[in-house]
Amino acid sequence: MTEQEEEALHIIQTHRQGILQSELWKELNIDSRKCSRIVKRLLDAGLIERIEYRSDGIRTYLLRAKTRAIDPSLILAGGEILPCIGCERECVPEECSLLLDWMYQLVLEEYQG
Amino acid sequence: MVSVAELLSDPAIEAYIVRLIGEEGVELIKRFPEEEEYSDEELAERTGINLNSVRHTLYSLYEKRLAEYRRLKNTETGWLTYLWHLRLDRIRDVIEEDIKYILENLEARLAYEERNDFYMCKHCGVIYTFTESASWNFECPNCEEMLEHFDNELLVAALKKRVKKIRESLGSA
Repeated sequence: MTEQEEEALHIIQTHRQGILQSELWKELNIDSRKCSRIVKRLLDAGLIERIEYRSDGIRTYLLRAKTRAIDPSLILAGGEILPCIGCERECVPEECSLLLDWMYQLVLEEYQG
Repeated sequence: MVSVAELLSDPAIEAYIVRLIGEEGVELIKRFPEEEEYSDEELAERTGINLNSVRHTLYSLYEKRLAEYRRLKNTETGWLTYLWHLRLDRIRDVIEEDIKYILENLEARLAYEERNDFYMCKHCGVIYTFTESASWNFECPNCEEMLEHFDNELLVAALKKRVKKIRESLGSA
């Protein structure tokens, strides 16, 4: 993905209700033709969806990031659950030894698999 | 609706639920008749699980919107009955909400690991920052053993990768 495509995707993702394509190219500071090419690549990659939209009689598109269901396995490292889940201790993430143990599990997982 | 057994077959979801309601709570949801609603007393009777434990589990699930109740009032006695049913179909959304919240902790830890240099006492197994270690002339404040440099490069790399995956998964990369 090019830098400009990444930037476009980021802008689309930050607009949770979607952004009009006619606004996107202005935000990216590029012309509409170039924006169309970027949008097409993001559509082809399945990262966004496009809905036809009329603004003052002019046809444009509303672009929205596709939301993927979160992968629950992100809370596991080497079978150990992230200690922050359901934690009721006073939270100092910088010095939390439970979190450090979990980070070691992450390292092990990285090298085992 | 997806069954409890199916949900529990995912190791991450199972670990999450165990953390939330403990093993006894898991027993309750395994025995909770699906698609139906019961009072806490009926549930205790049907499952053979202690009433206090049933209530504790139901409240913990309720706080996370994973269980709901319907309140019935007996017109003669005025007594209220709470009929419970499970909403475990929301579990992925609930985990996602937790991850969003926890991501801040992971980012804070990552920043701390990246901006500090660490020293460790091999004897006590305690890790100190450079500033702390320097103030003790690199001697362990507990046992006076010389502190040795602790390389956190692997920890940083692994945590950074996971944070990136979480951000991507949340659509905020």
